[in-house]
This record gives sequence, structure tokens and C-alpha cells, in this order.
Amino acid sequence: MAHSAKPGAVHNHPRNRLVGLMAQFDDPESLVAACEQARRAGYVKLDAHSPFPIHGIDPAIGIRRTRLPFLVLALALGACVFGLWLQYYTNAVDNTAIFPGYRFFISGKPNWSLPANIPVTFEIIVLTSAFTAFLGMWALNRLPRLANPLHRISRFRRATNDRFFLVIEQADEKFDLNRTQQQLEEWGATAIEQIIEDLADRELPRNLKLAGIVLALLLLVPPALIYRAMGTTSRYPRLHVVPDMDVQHKYKAQAIGPNLGDDKNPSYMYGDRRAARPPIPGTVARGQLELDTEYFRGYRESHPTGLFLPRGHAELVLASGTRPMPVLDSDWQDPGHDAPGTAQDASPADGTVVPAEKDWVQEFPSQITVDEALLKRGQQRFEIYCTACHGFDGNGNGLVNQRALALNAQLKAKWTAAKSLHDPTVKVQPIGRIFDTITNGRNTMGPYGRQIPVADRWAIVAYVRALQLTGIQPVVDAPATGPSATDGQPSAVE
Amino acid sequence: MATTLDTHWDNTHEDPGKRAPLVLGGLDYAGVTDSVAGIWESRQPRTWWIVFVLAVIWLLILGGCIFHLFMKGVGVWGNCNPVFWAFDIVNFVFWVGIGHAGTLISAILFLFRQNWRTSINRAAEAMTIFAVICAGMFPGVHIGRIWVFYWLFPIPTEHLAMWPNFRSPLLWDVFAVGTYFTVSLLFWYMGMVPDLATLRDRAKTRVKKIVYGILSLGWTGSVRSWHRYEAAYTILAALSTPLVLSVHTIVSFDFAVSQLPGWHTTIFPPYFVAGAIFSGFAMVVTLLVPARTLYGLQNIITIRHLENMNKIIMATGLMVGMAYAIEFFIAWYGGVQAESFAFQNRAFGNYWWSYWIMVTCNVVIPQLFWIKWCRTTPWFMVIVSLFVNVGMWFERFVITVTSLSRDFVPSSWGFYWPTEVDIMMLIGSFGLFFTMFLLFCRFLPLIAISEVKNVLPRSEQH
Amino acid sequence: MHHSRPAQVTSPVFTLNRSYVAIVPMGLIVCAIGLGIALMVGVGVGGFRRFSMSYLTTFCFLLSISLGGLFFVLSQHLCRAGWSVSVRRIAEILAMCTFPLLLVFLPILLPLLMNSSAVYWWNEQGWAHDDRIQELKDAYLNKWFFAARVIFCFVCWGLMARFFLRNSLRQDETGDGSLSRKMQRHSTWMTILFAVTIAIAAFDLEMSLQPWWFSTMFPVYFFAGSFMGGLCTIMLIALLLQRSGRVTDEITVEHYHDLAKLTFGFIFFWGYIAFSQFMLIWYANIPEETFWFNYRINKEGWATVSLILVFGRLLIPFLGMMARTVRRSKTYLLFASIYLLVMHWVDHFWLVMPELNRGGHEFAFSLLIDVPLAIGLVGIFVTFFAMIARNRPLVPLKDPRLGEALNYHNP
Repeated sequence: MAHSAKPGAVHNHPRNRLVGLMAQFDDPESLVAACEQARRAGYVKLDAHSPFPIHGIDPAIGIRRTRLPFLVLALALGACVFGLWLQYYTNAVDNTAIFPGYRFFISGKPNWSLPANIPVTFEIIVLTSAFTAFLGMWALNRLPRLANPLHRISRFRRATNDRFFLVIEQADEKFDLNRTQQQLEEWGATAIEQIIEDLADRELPRNLKLAGIVLALLLLVPPALIYRAMGTTSRYPRLHVVPDMDVQHKYKAQAIGPNLGDDKNPSYMYGDRRAARPPIPGTVARGQLELDTEYFRGYRESHPTGLFLPRGHAELVLASGTRPMPVLDSDWQDPGHDAPGTAQDASPADGTVVPAEKDWVQEFPSQITVDEALLKRGQQRFEIYCTACHGFDGNGNGLVNQRALALNAQLKAKWTAAKSLHDPTVKVQPIGRIFDTITNGRNTMGPYGRQIPVADRWAIVAYVRALQLTGIQPVVDAPATGPSATDGQPSAVE
Repeated sequence: MATTLDTHWDNTHEDPGKRAPLVLGGLDYAGVTDSVAGIWESRQPRTWWIVFVLAVIWLLILGGCIFHLFMKGVGVWGNCNPVFWAFDIVNFVFWVGIGHAGTLISAILFLFRQNWRTSINRAAEAMTIFAVICAGMFPGVHIGRIWVFYWLFPIPTEHLAMWPNFRSPLLWDVFAVGTYFTVSLLFWYMGMVPDLATLRDRAKTRVKKIVYGILSLGWTGSVRSWHRYEAAYTILAALSTPLVLSVHTIVSFDFAVSQLPGWHTTIFPPYFVAGAIFSGFAMVVTLLVPARTLYGLQNIITIRHLENMNKIIMATGLMVGMAYAIEFFIAWYGGVQAESFAFQNRAFGNYWWSYWIMVTCNVVIPQLFWIKWCRTTPWFMVIVSLFVNVGMWFERFVITVTSLSRDFVPSSWGFYWPTEVDIMMLIGSFGLFFTMFLLFCRFLPLIAISEVKNVLPRSEQH
Repeated sequence: MHHSRPAQVTSPVFTLNRSYVAIVPMGLIVCAIGLGIALMVGVGVGGFRRFSMSYLTTFCFLLSISLGGLFFVLSQHLCRAGWSVSVRRIAEILAMCTFPLLLVFLPILLPLLMNSSAVYWWNEQGWAHDDRIQELKDAYLNKWFFAARVIFCFVCWGLMARFFLRNSLRQDETGDGSLSRKMQRHSTWMTILFAVTIAIAAFDLEMSLQPWWFSTMFPVYFFAGSFMGGLCTIMLIALLLQRSGRVTDEITVEHYHDLAKLTFGFIFFWGYIAFSQFMLIWYANIPEETFWFNYRINKEGWATVSLILVFGRLLIPFLGMMARTVRRSKTYLLFASIYLLVMHWVDHFWLVMPELNRGGHEFAFSLLIDVPLAIGLVGIFVTFFAMIARNRPLVPLKDPRLGEALNYHNP
């Protein structure tokens, strides 16, 4: 038997409004049947509520297929494009607006290698689609909703348990309180109630509002603390988190070796306390005789002698057993300046040309054929080893340089700006001299001889020459009638 | 209202003409609601408290270990040259693997219309999320400079002027695991909203009404909502299916793109996925068999459900076994000496015991499930599932440690042995996992109430 | 709420019946013409080796779709599936075709046993020029062991297919539910046997064409393609049978929808396996492995075929099969199943033919050799199918789950 509603009891109150009628059914089949009846009777604004999805009710109540899948597909395709673009922009492009890319050869794969970009693209597609499906579903359902008059009806609590409800809204043209109620009874409703909306429910409760504000303020605290910490200095020593990243338990090649004893009775493996042994005097390691100085060093040795020590080893031989560590500085000495403290300071920074006390080679050694392949190789190697500081076009403004100069300005680091390769003082240098710079470093630039094989160093030299002759306009004043070679062809390099 | 059914009906036996019922004990709609919401309404049994206290103790130990790690550095682990990846990556892969069963049950079994998944999917999805949290922790604390963890993400900053390398499998991992966690969380939460509404409508106290009211987003069970909800559920399932494959695939790429013997083998992607499902289901069995007894859910998580899970364990175990065999065969057939040595070393080298634990637990012991008694006896299947968990942990140990400790050149060989911190962090991660899972049992619906109602036979109501 | 249909077969004719008499000779004639053209042109242009490789391509294609049918039967029994009962008989007959395919393999196997190294050049003495490798590979890749493995696989498949077809046909008469349970019970270990045999077949028939190369993923790749090929063939045969009025109401749009969903899934699965295999080899860049992909991707001609596979076999069908409406359209599915089978053939073409001359291949003659050969062998395959189907029912008449299959509706 249907419980009859009491018409006109509550909704007369000025704050209240009649929303519609709610009828209860005891099983899904009778709900579906009632929906069909209601549709046949011409009702349009109706809804049904059930504790679980009922298959077959959609046509009965007149629900069309949702557009959600198309929305998801559209955003998924967009995400595909975005994912590919993101990886292209960040890893394959340099010097773009706002945020520069990071176009460096890593792991031996081309900057833009599609197979390696598939996984991330796929994940971005899935992530975007999932959020679209999730958020789109709630948006289309107009949820979350702050208050719903249905929740004021205690009977409706069973809609999430074991009862089935049909709601016909007052806004429907066919709605008539008494007639609709009668019809619902005819269709087998076991209970009927009026849905009354308390207009005050539409506002957010004050406590909830307050709690929200407090929560939002509390969330601001951590970023504020971090921001404060970023701008302050401290007299306390730095806290080392994961300290063995900073202080590593290992012995560098030319540092003091392990103390095998204790503090009072130190005991070292070698008399000179070094961790490693210097070469034995008078010996040369296999393959390192390197008598062809033009090729291996970039200058002509006028009187090659039978006994030839690799660069720097002479000092070590002298130091062995007599001088305590560290002797490292001399190890980095420029072989162009045998006597300590002569031309070392005559760096190109002041614009003067380095005195050619060494007989630098002016042309590529016979082992090197300057052709397109060499230049390509040179470009590749240049972009791996040199661009980080000197920039892709050699103007001395690579990413490391930019960042270091920024830190310099904040007095957080000391940095000598990287040289522009288009600087006149560099441009007039013989190629042997450039080769030497790459091999042994200069000023704050470290030596690359150990990392880059000789042939590759020459390839870089060729590429640097090509850059100087053809490339980007130098930062400093360009000679108007400079070498106007138009292409980076080998002829220009010669 | 409810017709009576024999509680002891053996629903593992199915007459081909008629499907066996998935819910027993004559439960009707209200009965299902009462069984599940009852867990949430009544006080927790004493067993819950005992396990909870133990779990929290281990969680605190884990916290202590991590603090110790941060203050001393990764030297507190046994990682050494050449085994730079050890327990942390083993635990990571182990937990991510466990995190596969939930999405498999809720997505792939959904698409394959396996209705029996409804009784177990909620708990399995929760387990997935907690397992992925445990997994993410290990590489998280292993990145060294933990205070710049955000460098892992492509965040545009003038300050850094640098981007992550998208060609690195380790970065793919960040995206894969991050996406997997997020999508699993969305899927889990969305599936839970109708049940949270059930709890909201049964809540007695004001706090519960407010909390569950907010969590259930004003759900009324409108059929219009249900329509879009089901569409979104299907879409999420269709997205999660390739996603769940992709996650362990990408984890396997971490190993397989390298050139290390024993790591570089093309079968890794499907083999890792099969192994992940294998271990995930074992963990579901380990968790749900005690839970159904503790909360009296034998009528909803029936023996048939458990039997089906055990069959999947057996099937995926065989797939893993097949992959072991193919790897061995190709290591020999390929004729690459380093590769064949790597596999001989696995079986007979200095970590031989870990290899044979792996084979025994993963391939031999699950074969017991061919016997019906073994796969339908709850206490026995828990024992088998524990063996599988152990075996799958050792599988990752074997892959990671044996390969790293013996590569091409004998001069770069080494030996790894875990420290106390390694071992305590492994156990501690179980503390984290169980703490979260027990809180889930306490505060959230353990079973997908609305989905179980959908598989109740209609004729049984009235 | 849908009204349930009785579990009865209502088609007027549900067997091939008299058309069987027409199909068999037609298939044989097509086979004779196709093989004739290919043999004349093929041996003339590229010698016996050119012809044999092309022959192997189509043979592997046909074998893989029959194995797809066998796996369909196995998996449906393994999962106690109800929906698929209507189309399972087609798969059972398709699976049965594996056994006569052994006859089709004889033109490859017999020359091999007579020391020909036309197809499998590991059959040549001392091919490896390296004693260690030669000894190792000879242990596995020798003609007698190869023949024994291949025959073992065919016998296993034939016996498994025969087991399912016989019991299913017996059930047509008795409607005995215990037969279903018997097939379910045996489908378990048979699936393991299937996995082992298909792995052996993939290694032996296609991977050993290049005896230096190896990939542990290869059997999975072979399987992923096979199952999709099997599904498409089942779909195609069902559509043709329905068009010709052999089967009417037993196969509904719901079955096509489900088959199309599975096909969609396995298009993606194939793509996943293919990508993973390629990516791992490309990334690690080890010479022992990369060379195999190198001439498939970088050699002129094969580069195009590779792109056709990426787009035509994966991306286009993936997007094309995504929408629900197309998965429920019989016209579209007829086109899609034929298209996908052609693509599946191209996949095998891509696996086999580059081994002819390390990527050197005269595509110009493909139309005169590869295509007629493919059509010819498909002709004999259709003959096999018709001879097995004969006047047997094309739908399991009394399967206890037929009612479930007839009444299922996709949401």
C-alpha cells in the first residue's frame, strides 16, 4: 500500500519550495516499468534513483548515450600532440623563447629519437584521458552538489541501499500534484513523498566555510617557510643530508693516500703519501710516445730528442719522493709555457695576441683530411663537449655560462665568462693553438685531452674554424671585410 | 523477503547449463549493504588491533631507517661497486608488481566480463595504491640529492634552465609509475563514491555525516548519473588496461635497454607483466583470506572467488616459468658467451640459492593448485600465496643482483650482501603497507557494495 | 529488460551442405593456377630459393591463423565462456586445418631433408665459419631434429583440434553437459602444450631463417599476430556464412561486437609486443641483434614495408576499430577482417622475405610470385576448411551454454 503524501503541509513556509514528487519502488523491475509508464504519460523532467546501475532503464527513461567518450578522445589526441611537443621542445630544441630547451647528446641517442619518446607520450595520453573521463563525468553529472532536497527525506536514504525511487519534478509541464500522485500509485509505488527544498540549504554552512579558509591559510605556510629560508643566511654550518654524496670515501688519483695507521702513528702505503704512483722515470706507457708533435700537440718540435716525456711528467719525476703533495697545479700547466710564470698571464682576455713562442701548426696535420664528414663529426663532438659553456654557435653564452653568470651576479659563485670563439683574439689564433687549448685547457677552462681522442680534437678544431669563418656574427665588433666565406666548406677552412 | 539458500552450497562446481551463484547465504540487497557497512559500523575485532599495533611499530622502524639513511647517506645500505642497484630497486619492482593485481581485477577482468571480480576489486585496488606508495618510496630515498627530487619532473624554471632527459628509461619510470598511481587512485575513488554515499546515508554521528557527505560528492544514485558513471568506468577500464601493461613494461625497460647479460632480453616486458599479476594476486589472496574470516564475509568472497584467483596464480606462474625456460634456451642458442655465463651463474653461481628459491616458489609450489583441495582450502592457499610472494621477491633479487655482480669482465665482479638497514627497510615497507591497508578496512567500504548488488541474481529478490 | 530467446538453432540450413561440392574443386583450381604462375615466374626469376621463401611466407600466415583458431577454442573452454558458443564451431574447424597444413609444409621439409639449404641456410655445412658457434647451433639446428620438432608440433595441434571437434560434435547429438566439463578440464594442460609448441614453431619456422639472430620475445610476437589473425578469420567466415544464409540468427551483432573488441585488443597487443621487441633492440644497439632490424628498416623497399606495418597494421586499425558503431557494423567488419588479414600476411612477409638476401628483394616481381602464391595457398586452405566442415553443423547445436550466447547483450 502506498503511503499518501500530505499535500500543502510544509511547502507553504516562505523559505520552502516544492521540487516534485518522489515515489518508492521495491525492486528494479517495477521501477523500470514505472519509468516507461511515466514516459508514456508524457513526463519529461523525471529521474530515477537506484543503489546500483540498472541495465535497460536508459531507454525507459529516455537517456541518450553520453558524449563523454568523444570528449575523452578529443583530449587524448590533444595530449598525444602535447606529449610529443613537450619532448621535442625540451630535448631537441635550443634557444627557444622563455625557457630554453636542453639539446645535448645524452646516452648516444639522437636528440629527437621517436622510439624513446613513445613511452612518455603514451603515459601523458593516458593521464589526460583519465582525468578527462573522471572530471568530465562529474561535471556532466553536475556533481559535487552542496545540498540536495532529496537528502532531507529519511526514506531516501535507502536509495543507496535497497530501494528504488522515481522522481517527477514540479517543473514538468504535465505535473499536477494530485494527478501525478495518483498515477504514481497506479504504477505500483509503495510510498510517495513530496520533495521540499529548504532554500537555506543552498548556502554553505558557516563552519564549513571557516574550516575551508583555515585550511587554505595553513596550506600557505609551508611555501612561505621555504620562501623565507631561500632568502636568509645562516651562521651555522650547512646540514648535510645524505652526506656521503658530498664527502665520498674514495681516493683521487693525485691526492693523499689512505692513512693505514691512526692519527698518532700515521702510516701510508707510499713514502710520498700519494694515493697513486707517478710514472717511473724514463719510461713511456705503451702507445704514448707520441713523437709526432704536430699531430699530437699542435706544434712543431724543432729538436725532437730520443727521450721524450709526456707533458707534465717531467715535473712529476722531479717531485717524486722529495716534494709532498699536492703538486697538482703544475700538472695543468700549459706546455706552451715551459718556464713557470712567463706568458701564463698573457691571456687573451686583455685582447693581446698570445706570443707564438711555440711553433703552432697553421695547417691541419697530414693525418687529418678536412672534409664534410670531419666537420660533421666536429660539430657533433663540439655539441657534446663544448656547447654547455661556449654555446651552440660558439658565442660563449652556453647554458652553464648563463647560469654561472647569474650566480656570479648574486655573489654565489666565481666564474670567468666563457670565451666567445668569435672574439678577434681567438680568431687569429693558429689552429695548433686552438688544438692545444682543447687538449690542455686554458685559464679556468679544464683540459679535454683525456676525454676526447686526438682525431676528434682536430675535428672540433675544424668545426671551430668553420664557425669562426661562417657562423653567427661575433658578439664583439665584426670586421666588415672579414673572411666572407659563405659556406662551411673545407676550402674555407684551408 | 530473501529466499533462503544453503550457506554451504559448493559454488566452485558449475553445471555448464547454469551459472553458479557468486553470492551465497541468500543475501539480498540490504543483506549485502549490512555485511559490508557493518564492518565500518561496529568496533574492530581484537585481531585487527594486534596487527595494527605491529604494523605501526614496523612503520616507525621504517621511519627511523629513513632518518638514519638521510643523516648518514646511502652507505648504510649494502650497495657496493658493481651492485649499485640492490634492495631498493628489488623492493621497488616487488611492490610495483604487487600493485598490478588491483587494476587488473578492476579493469581487465571488467572488460572480460568476469563478474566475480566485484567481490574483490575494491580491496585489490586499495592494495594497489598502497603497494605503489611503498614502491615509490624506495627510488624516492635512493635518488641521493633528495631535496631536489622535483628535478625528476619537467617543471619549467628559469632557475634550473634544464629539462629531464626524456630518452632515459628511468624518466619513463617516473611518468609510468606516477600515471599509474594517479589513474589507479581516480579509478578507486570513483568506484567508491556510490558506496561512500551508502555509508553517508547510514552514518550516525555528525562528524561521519560531514566527512562521508563531502567524500561522496552528493551522490544520489540517479540513473542519469549512473549512465555517465558507467561510461566513465568503462573508459577508465579501457585506459587502465594498456596502462597496467605499460607500467611493468617500462619497469622492465629499466633493465632490458641496457647491455648487461641477464638484463638485456626482449621477453622482459610481457614476462614482467605476467610476474606482476602473479605476485599481485598472491598478495590479494594473502590479504583477503584472513579478512573474509575476520569480518565474516564468506558469503560475498566465496570459495569460488578464491579458487578463480588461485587459477590465475597458477596460469601466470606458468607464464613466468615459460619465460624462465625461453630465457635459458635463448641464452644457450644465441651463442653469446657472456649471456650464457650469466644464466649458468644464476643457477650455479654464488647466488645459486636465490635462484632455486625463486624457481621453487614461483614454478614448483603453485603447481599444487592443480589439486582442487589445494585451491579451495583457505588456509592452504594462504601458505602457497606466501611462497609466491617470497618467490617473486627473489625473482627481482636474482635479476638485479646476480646480473650486476657478474658482468663481462672478471675484474669488475663483486659481491653484495644486505645490511641490517636494508632488511629493516624491507620489513618496514610491509609495516607501511599493512598500516594503510588496516586503516582502509576500518574507514572505507572493503567491498564494492553497489557492484556486488549488480551481480545478485534478480530472481532471488522476492 | 530483454526477452530471452530459447536455446535452439533456428537456421534452415546450418551446414555447408551442397556448396561443399563446389568449394572443394574451386579451391583446388585456384591453388593450381596460383602455384603454377608463381612456380614459373618464381623459379625463373629467383630460382627455387625465391619461390620457397615466398611459399613459406604464406604457409606461416595460414598456419598462424589456424593456430589462432585453436587458441580461441582453448581459451573459451579455459574461461568457461558462454558468449562465444555461436562462433566456436568455426574456430574448431579452423583449428582442425592445422593438421592438413603439414602436407603443405612438405615442399619445404622434404628438400631440407635432402640437404637443400634453399630456405634454411643453417642446413649448409660450416655456414657459421666459427667452430664454437657451429657446434652449438648444429646441436639444435640440424635437419632431423628440426623435422622431428615440426612434426611433433603438428601432431600435437592436430590431436588437440581433433579432441575438441569430436567432443563438440558428439555434444550436438547428446547435449551432454559433461562433455563441456571434459573439454574444460583438458583445455588446461593443452594450453600449456599449445604455448610450448607455438614457441617451438615460431623459433624454428621463422626465427631460424636467420640462424645468427635471436630474440626471446619472438614466440610472443608470433602468438600475438596469430590470435588476431584467427579472430579476423573467424569473423570473416561467420560473416560469409551469414551472407550466404547458412547460419542466420545464431550469430548476432553482439558476437561480432565481441569478436571485434577482442580483435581491437589484439591489434594493440601486437603493437605493444612489436614495439617492445624493436625498442629494446634499438636502444641497446648490440650488433648481434640490431642487424636483423637494420635491413628491415633501412633497406630501400623494406623501409616502406615497415612503415606500412606501423601505420596499416597498428595505428590505422587501432583508430578505425575504436568506435562502438563500427564494431557493430557487419559491412565495416567484413572490410576490416579482410584488410587485417592482408596486413597479417604483410607481417609474415616482413618476417620471412628479407632473409632471402639480407634485405635485397625485387619487389617488382612480388605481384607475379608472392601474390599468386598467396592466393593459391589460400585456395587450398579453403578446400581444407570445406572438407573438414563437410555437412557438419556450423554451430554447436546443443551446447548447454548456447542459450547464454544467444541472449547476451552488450551494454
